[in-house]
Amino acid sequence: GQSYPGKPKIIRCRSLEKETFSCWWKPGSDGGLPTNYTLFYSKDSEEKTYECPDYQTSGPNSCYFDKNHTNPRATYSITVMATNEIGSNSSDPQYVDVTSIVQPNAPVNLSLETKPSVNTMYLWAKWSPPPLDDVNSNSYVYHYELRLKREEKKEWETISVGVRTQYKVIRLQAGMKYVVQVRCMLDVGEWSEWSSERCMQIPNGQSPPEKPTIIKCRSPEKETFTCWWKPGSDGGHPTNYTLLYSKEGEEQVYECPDYRTAGPNSCYFDKKHTSFWTIYNITVRATNEMGSNVSDPHYVDVTYIVQPDPPVNVTLELKKPINRKPYLVLTWSPPPLADVRSGWLTLEYELRLKPEEGEEWETIFVGQQTQYKMFSLNPGKKYIVQIHCKPDHHGSWSEWSSEKYIQIPTDFRVKDMVVWIVVGVLSSLICLIMSWTMVLKGYRMIAFILPPVPGPKIKGIDTHLLETGKSEELLSALGCHGFPPTSDCEELLIEYLEVEDSEDQQLVPSHDNGHPSKNAKMIPKETDSDSGRGSCDSPSLLSEKCRECRTLPSILQTPDVRDVQGSKGGKRTWETQCIASEQKTLLFNNESTKSSTWPAAQLPNNQPPMFAYHSTVDAQKITLNTTNVNIAPVLVGNEEKHQSQYPITETVHNDMEKQREVENLHSKTDQTTVQVKQNRSNDKSTFLNPKLMDYVEVHKVRQDEPAVLLKHKENSGKTEKYTVPGTSKEYTKVSTVVDHNILVLMPDSCIQHASVSQEPAMETPPNLQQGQGEKNMSYCLTAPSECRRETSGSEYMDPSSFMPSFK
Amino acid sequence: CHTSGMLTPNGKEYAQKIPREELTHLILKLLQAWKEPLSHFNQHHQELPDDSLSKAKQISNMVHELKTGVEKSMGIISNSLNGMASSEAEGLSIGNEADMMSDSDFIHCFRRDSNKVQSYLKILKCRIMPENSC
Repeated sequence: GQSYPGKPKIIRCRSLEKETFSCWWKPGSDGGLPTNYTLFYSKDSEEKTYECPDYQTSGPNSCYFDKNHTNPRATYSITVMATNEIGSNSSDPQYVDVTSIVQPNAPVNLSLETKPSVNTMYLWAKWSPPPLDDVNSNSYVYHYELRLKREEKKEWETISVGVRTQYKVIRLQAGMKYVVQVRCMLDVGEWSEWSSERCMQIPNGQSPPEKPTIIKCRSPEKETFTCWWKPGSDGGHPTNYTLLYSKEGEEQVYECPDYRTAGPNSCYFDKKHTSFWTIYNITVRATNEMGSNVSDPHYVDVTYIVQPDPPVNVTLELKKPINRKPYLVLTWSPPPLADVRSGWLTLEYELRLKPEEGEEWETIFVGQQTQYKMFSLNPGKKYIVQIHCKPDHHGSWSEWSSEKYIQIPTDFRVKDMVVWIVVGVLSSLICLIMSWTMVLKGYRMIAFILPPVPGPKIKGIDTHLLETGKSEELLSALGCHGFPPTSDCEELLIEYLEVEDSEDQQLVPSHDNGHPSKNAKMIPKETDSDSGRGSCDSPSLLSEKCRECRTLPSILQTPDVRDVQGSKGGKRTWETQCIASEQKTLLFNNESTKSSTWPAAQLPNNQPPMFAYHSTVDAQKITLNTTNVNIAPVLVGNEEKHQSQYPITETVHNDMEKQREVENLHSKTDQTTVQVKQNRSNDKSTFLNPKLMDYVEVHKVRQDEPAVLLKHKENSGKTEKYTVPGTSKEYTKVSTVVDHNILVLMPDSCIQHASVSQEPAMETPPNLQQGQGEKNMSYCLTAPSECRRETSGSEYMDPSSFMPSFK
Repeated sequence: CHTSGMLTPNGKEYAQKIPREELTHLILKLLQAWKEPLSHFNQHHQELPDDSLSKAKQISNMVHELKTGVEKSMGIISNSLNGMASSEAEGLSIGNEADMMSDSDFIHCFRRDSNKVQSYLKILKCRIMPENSC
């Protein structure tokens, strides 16, 4: 249908510059009919209503109020009426205050530039104010605002610019793209819209050069000097450097006279330009397209910056004065440029040297001389030497001169050589002489130096003791503690006797071997016979026997058995005796061994215990034949220690047997001196009829040395060698024990008749008996005689008969 | 420095060109110029530690001795009356100026001047007696 137009609405009124303004309205519906719009306004509260003066300028549906119609101080009331054929409609009135609706247009012609500044780049933005139709538009003063941001970022940075139409933006990062906009405002009203964007790329790495630094200034000879500087980064552009200086007390600034002579980045001041005792103020400026930069000032007084060149012409000379050690003289010259002759520059020198392989330098201050004497170098070694110098006043040390090598000659003095040669010759002579002497008289010398080892002795007897003749000691040495034989011995004896015989036989062959050890085997029996210990035997014998041939265990056994029953002490003594002898470890350690070794028991052929004689006799003979000269019979020195209880020592054996006996006697001591003196009784009381008895002298019995039993007839001398008395006589019986340490043997009448004279077998018992009385005596009872063997000991003294008496 | 007013050769060539007597005069003038200020310094700086004080006194003495020695060796005595009078006057006036200096300036100036004196003396020495280590 058609109706009257809708109500128009005033949408906006705006002033660009406070002197004109425009309003725009929006029409309502037009009612289907062409509609006219008219704008009516009134000022302030006036009644008069005016119509819009200009509907064109601002476009359709607008009204433009030009200057004449605009009163900035007035308030306008504006209505718009829409009219069509049917009717009209008016908008609501709009009250417009011109000042409040001012909003300029955005600035135009925004342009951006990058410009280098002192250290960085800045952005230079320029624009133009919004254009106005009116020619007078230039008189308007706008306020501007600029905003920028990095292209990729969202946040704007807004900067108030003021009234100028340009602005420099600093603190921009090189290599970044920035976006810039500006807007403006009049003194009243609102900000304009932002202008269109402008973008700018900040160039990368292009900046003014960095500040250079002056490194040092030096004068090599106190007449000219040079300064060096170190450039900073050049900011991406070729940079020029200029050195400027001024002198103390002067205002004028000069530029470096010579950039080339001293090389790049240096300035050389020649003589004309060098003044002393004045301070120079030196700076270096670096310039490039982007800008320039100046170094810090460097103050220098040439007097104090002297550093010479190193000394030259370093030479060595070896001087060899007479009567003194040679020494080395080192000389050098001052550096060529330094004027030392006029005294303008005075130099001091210092040198350093070290052995070629050494690590540390030895520094020597020389002073102002140009030479140096070196005395204390090691011959033959190689040294390195260097010199440097410095002005005597303020200044610094030069570089070290090039290395100079010194080789010390190794010259031996003739004197030294001669000495060494003489020494060498003499020593060789001496050696020759000595060796020659050795060769020629080797034996003697050797003998002199190393005396020959004496032959074996009877062990267990201390020859010294025998010699000294202290019976007590001897006996004690022999270990005869319990001299009086015990009942055990008795039995021992008996059995011993038996064993001996067989033993003898066994012994004999073994003895044939002439082995002392074998003798030892035999010895047990024989010791039985001669020493009081008889069966007890010399421990040594026993031990030997045991040790060396265990084939004869029995002998010992029985006694042992008996011993066991009897007094152990006896055994023990036995043992001790044995132990005393060399064969300590032997039999007696072990009863069983003892027993085992004791041959007696086992001898099948045991003859009655007479064995001793028989066997001993035979043995003796044999031994005599075969034994070593060194073997000496051990006679029985009886000693108390003889605990060998009933030594049945009858025969005198030269062999080990006797040794053993003696050893037995010894018991502890190695040496016994058994002396049975024939026809002599030194201090030894003898109740024996010398005639009856054959005394056999027993010489010293030392360890391993058998006591030599000597028949007086045959050999009265002390020898270590065995002199065989036995051949003539055989002493198989102990007739008595004299003086505690003499055992008197009775020759076996059965065996030998020649020598044996009155040996009263009968007497023996009494003698023996008598002897028994003596405590210290050890008895060997009744050596069996061969003759009587069968009789099984008829000749034997029955130890048991008088044994008790001992107890 | 209070002695800056003095015209002294500031290079080797200049120093070598100067005749001997003039150079000697110059040396003496310099030494004289420092006599006053040094004693003044010693007086006014009793607060220094002992070893510094003794060093300062030592230096004053040395300067004095040096001056005397130079005079004697150069046979200046005859001329000294004229020379000394003027130099003394000069020295006095200069000495007044010296009071104004700060300590560090004082020391700096003294160091420089003593170096000058040393150099001039060495040149003199090698001129007169060239054989001794010249």
